Amino acid sequence: MKNKIGVYICHCGGNISDYVDVEKVRDAVKDIEGVEISVDTMFACADSSQKQIFNDIKEKQLDGLVVASCSPKLHYPTFSAVAERAGLNKYNYVHANIREQVSWAHSDNKLGATEKAIQAVKAAIAGVKESISLEPIKIKSQKIVAVIGAGVAGMRAAKELADLGVKVYLIEREYFVGGRVAQLDYLCRVQETGKELVTRMYEAIHKHENITLFTGAEIIEKGGSIGNFKIKLKITPRYIKKDCNEDELKKAIEVCPVEVDDDFNFNITKRKAIYKNYPSEYPQKPAIDIKNCTRCGECEKVCSSIDFNQKEEILDLTVGSILTATGFDPYRPKENEFGWGLDNVVTLPQFRRIINMCDDKLIYNGKEIKEIAYIYCVGSRQVDGENKYCSRYCCTATLYTSILTHKKYKNIHAYHFNRGIRTYGKQEVIYDEVSQLGDIFLQSYEYDPATVEKQGDKTIVKVKDILTNNTEIEVEADLVVLVTGMEPRKDNSIGDVLKIPKGRDRFYNEIHMKLRPVETVIDGITIAGACQGPKNILESVNSALSAATKSYSIVNTGELALEPIIASVNEDTCTWCGLCADACPYDAIELINKNGKDIAEINKSVCKGCGMCLPVCESDSIEMSGFTNNIIENMISAYADI
Amino acid sequence: MQYQTDNNSYDALVIGAGIAGGEAALNLANLGYKVLLIDKDLTIGGKMIMLSKVFPTLDCSACITTPKVSEISRHPNIKILTSTQASNITQKSDGTFMAEITTKPRYVEIEDCTGCQLCEEACPVIVKDQYQYDLVGRKAAYIPFSIASPRAAAIDIENCTLCGACERACPTNCIDFTQTDKKITIKCNTVILATGFQLFDPTLIPRYGFGRFKNVITSMQMERQLAPTRPFNTVLRPSDGKLPDNIAYVLCTGSRDKTLGNPICSQVCCMYSTKQAQLLMGALPMADITLYYLHIRAFGKGFNEFYAQAQSMGVEFVKGKVAKITEKENGNLILRYEDINGNVVKETEHDMVVLSVGILPNVGIQELFSGINLELDEFNYVKQTDVLASPAATSINGVFVAGTASAPMDIPDSILSAGAASAEAANYIRKMSEINVSV
Amino acid sequence: MSSSGKDMPKILVFSTEKISDPAIDMAGLLKLHYPPRVYIISLPCSSAVKPRWILKAFSEGFDGVFIAADGTDCPYGESCTDKTGAIIKQTQDMLKEKGIEPAKLRMAAICSICSEAFVKQMKNFTEYLVNQKTN
Repeated sequence: MKNKIGVYICHCGGNISDYVDVEKVRDAVKDIEGVEISVDTMFACADSSQKQIFNDIKEKQLDGLVVASCSPKLHYPTFSAVAERAGLNKYNYVHANIREQVSWAHSDNKLGATEKAIQAVKAAIAGVKESISLEPIKIKSQKIVAVIGAGVAGMRAAKELADLGVKVYLIEREYFVGGRVAQLDYLCRVQETGKELVTRMYEAIHKHENITLFTGAEIIEKGGSIGNFKIKLKITPRYIKKDCNEDELKKAIEVCPVEVDDDFNFNITKRKAIYKNYPSEYPQKPAIDIKNCTRCGECEKVCSSIDFNQKEEILDLTVGSILTATGFDPYRPKENEFGWGLDNVVTLPQFRRIINMCDDKLIYNGKEIKEIAYIYCVGSRQVDGENKYCSRYCCTATLYTSILTHKKYKNIHAYHFNRGIRTYGKQEVIYDEVSQLGDIFLQSYEYDPATVEKQGDKTIVKVKDILTNNTEIEVEADLVVLVTGMEPRKDNSIGDVLKIPKGRDRFYNEIHMKLRPVETVIDGITIAGACQGPKNILESVNSALSAATKSYSIVNTGELALEPIIASVNEDTCTWCGLCADACPYDAIELINKNGKDIAEINKSVCKGCGMCLPVCESDSIEMSGFTNNIIENMISAYADI
Repeated sequence: MQYQTDNNSYDALVIGAGIAGGEAALNLANLGYKVLLIDKDLTIGGKMIMLSKVFPTLDCSACITTPKVSEISRHPNIKILTSTQASNITQKSDGTFMAEITTKPRYVEIEDCTGCQLCEEACPVIVKDQYQYDLVGRKAAYIPFSIASPRAAAIDIENCTLCGACERACPTNCIDFTQTDKKITIKCNTVILATGFQLFDPTLIPRYGFGRFKNVITSMQMERQLAPTRPFNTVLRPSDGKLPDNIAYVLCTGSRDKTLGNPICSQVCCMYSTKQAQLLMGALPMADITLYYLHIRAFGKGFNEFYAQAQSMGVEFVKGKVAKITEKENGNLILRYEDINGNVVKETEHDMVVLSVGILPNVGIQELFSGINLELDEFNYVKQTDVLASPAATSINGVFVAGTASAPMDIPDSILSAGAASAEAANYIRKMSEINVSV
Repeated sequence: MSSSGKDMPKILVFSTEKISDPAIDMAGLLKLHYPPRVYIISLPCSSAVKPRWILKAFSEGFDGVFIAADGTDCPYGESCTDKTGAIIKQTQDMLKEKGIEPAKLRMAAICSICSEAFVKQMKNFTEYLVNQKTN
């Protein structure tokens, strides 16, 4: 119980004292038990007043401080700092807001305002009496970050962290790095292909002394918390020896009799069970797709680098922070959706692979393509489906693809069945360029989109075009390109392991789009790139670098200081019913057995001090520092005492 | 002129204290680096602090900005200078920078001012309030706005009559008319450009009548009318102070228009107009709101859903380019536009028109440097020299760009770009200190 | 009837530091007046209110208790509204048992700029409690 409390009541130059009789407030509280001094001051925040408070704390050995002035949003940090400088723990300072919540709110009623101010100061004194000193919770943090996903976002974040002196585990589920960007041959508005960009980034990371790259690797378990996450990594082997012979491996790929759909080319081509997605791919060793391998042994006959004895490995790692950059999946149209299933209907990613494979003539399924119909917003902005969002990158990507086809092939006619072109920002110039190439734009609303049907051997795309007064327009297309958007990864096993919450769009959710855009509610886990929502490369890299900054700030000093306003369990009265653990949004409460008794335990480094566990406890065994029964009930009594 | 030759030395100079510059400064300061954050304005917080609620979450802009601003202003590693500009930035052979920093006089000692506003009451001069975008007046002795930081008075010396009333009223004697330009030279390891954007000036499209027709206002003026620190406590039309009940928005005012030299999309106007429409539906439940647009660019996280929500609330979206606005005697406005849906030219009457003005690059950023060339792109934004792999990198090694200085962008993207700039700046600082240690 | 009179009802408000406090502050900033016998205790989150605190307030003589809830803006998670609602429901049942009118405990989501909503709530609640007293 504090009994040498200093009370300072501010006039705020009239902002308070014009409506509140500040002297009366001062006198009304000066004789309360425990109050050492009660003074009024013109400006509590002014330097001279701060000095007075500082001196009083020192000279009069004050053990509690009440400042009654403007909203604590403005000057709580100011007076906390004064207290701390003078050697008084800041949790022994309570603020009374008598400006915004009293003098200004009741400027029409001076008597009422004065009475309320007295009550507010009394309540603050009652609170400070019961207050206890608290120190920040300090925990050691590993100076290591796990980056999940070695796409452009993950690689870029890894490089930045490594350059800053942090050890990085870069964890990629596939056997090769580069993610979705490796599948891109031309990039809009830059003179670099996606593959070249990936190569440039790989070169920056693969020799970096601070980065360890794991391919074919997945996190299967996560424990611990910020500063000290324990992760279990499962690494599936490539079945290729460390020092391998490249020529022999080429032969091995040739002789492999297994052919499967090539996911890298969006299933428009086939690949072998021992494979590389493209010649300059990194890491440069091929891998054996063991699920499809028949173990016929043909490759072993021509290549000494094959090693089927390699075993799956499990690694236990400890890291301070986890940066998640797991990317997206392209939307896969449903059967018959805009003609999906017809032999001349492809998705935009497929079409871009086709362009890369056709040199002077655009040929698909043996037929030369001249008339191309692009249907936008497939899998995005759905009226009936669950993808209500816009996928952001696709309008620009499609327009740029159209420019490429015109450059590469002759006599191409393109029709863009869109719902309003969204080439935001500088990308507008692409739209302008395409318009000048003579492409035709037909627009409809969400609820009345284009349709694709087969009439004999013709493929007809129809739309009621709002640009020409809702005229029904038909186009015969050689090829229909479905502009498919981005979707969250179908395989969300990593999200389940890390327990990253998702938004309504099913992408990973940040805490706050503007205040904390790369953090998740799980302290220490950051998100970057398209796993958080559709993004182009530039936007992904921006978010990757932001997430790297955040993860770096968690691990860089090797120590974390956490806010001590957290819940604590009374071990004597707790009988473990689990209700508190259910109520906790952070999984901070666990069942433990102490001296033969089941009780709840609060993980201090995970608890955020929201207090959701307090009211659900039937035996009232949980208290939160700063908001204990003593403090709150003392304040209630003080308020009630008029 | 006071001239200080001191050995002021910082890890980073951040130019522009809007949301991007503030975020970058905070990131670096939290990593333990010493930052000088300067802004030419009287307050930090940039344009964001002036906004009402922000899309697509509709949280209040001030509620997001003020905690950030106060975190910045009390951070022990950040030194803030307002009314301040940098010039003559040079790069030394070791990669570090020197800069001249000039602070214009505010005629008020910020440290001593308590923000009591007594000088404001005493001042007899009334001029247009630029922080309320000229909707109302302010005094020549004034606090920019209630949530300004520093929340300290300033004297608008151009309009001040030097009557001395403010000096007499000031209880802390913090008004000082003898202040002059303060110049210092600083040394820093890296520079972050977060110089922001300017809004399109709609008087450049005379056919829209802005400046002539009282009830044609800009979106920023509407933003102020909707903000928590708004001037009138309600939305009203300027000509007669009536509550408007039929408001039109003209999108792409100054954007996507080659004839005005700005061919690109401003990226935010569709969404802020949609947001204002939603807020207006709340503030004026009886009002009709119509948006005249070319394409709705609802591309970001939650944006398309936000657009759909506005439609379902009854906001009318009309696809059509507004050609001309004329004023009737009662102050109402006739919009002549091509209705793409009916493929006809139509005229409709509204009692208030909001021009959704676009974003333009700030000028004069190149001139901050001396002896080194900061390249601009074809739209006069700061050129991102490795836009995909290092979006914050500029043509000068060690100078990084954050926020709308490099392109139009919304608040979330500005914050992410500031995150990128601070990451790269941190690395550059690290490199510089390693070199300096080894030397 | 003087609004500062001792006969006016006393209301205890549990507000939240990040969401409803700023709204209540802004009500003052905008000089939106409401009855002064409204006293505020701030918590991190509205779903941290213990029923015993509410009961304590009534037993100490408060006429009404108002929870200025975080609603969907809660920084601690979307479950806040439901959890706060459950606490209110539970406490109202307890009040009923004690013979206290459950409507004397109210809750409404007050977002960080819902100043007008807060003021309206306080005026209505006060009016309701005045009627309760006189009846």
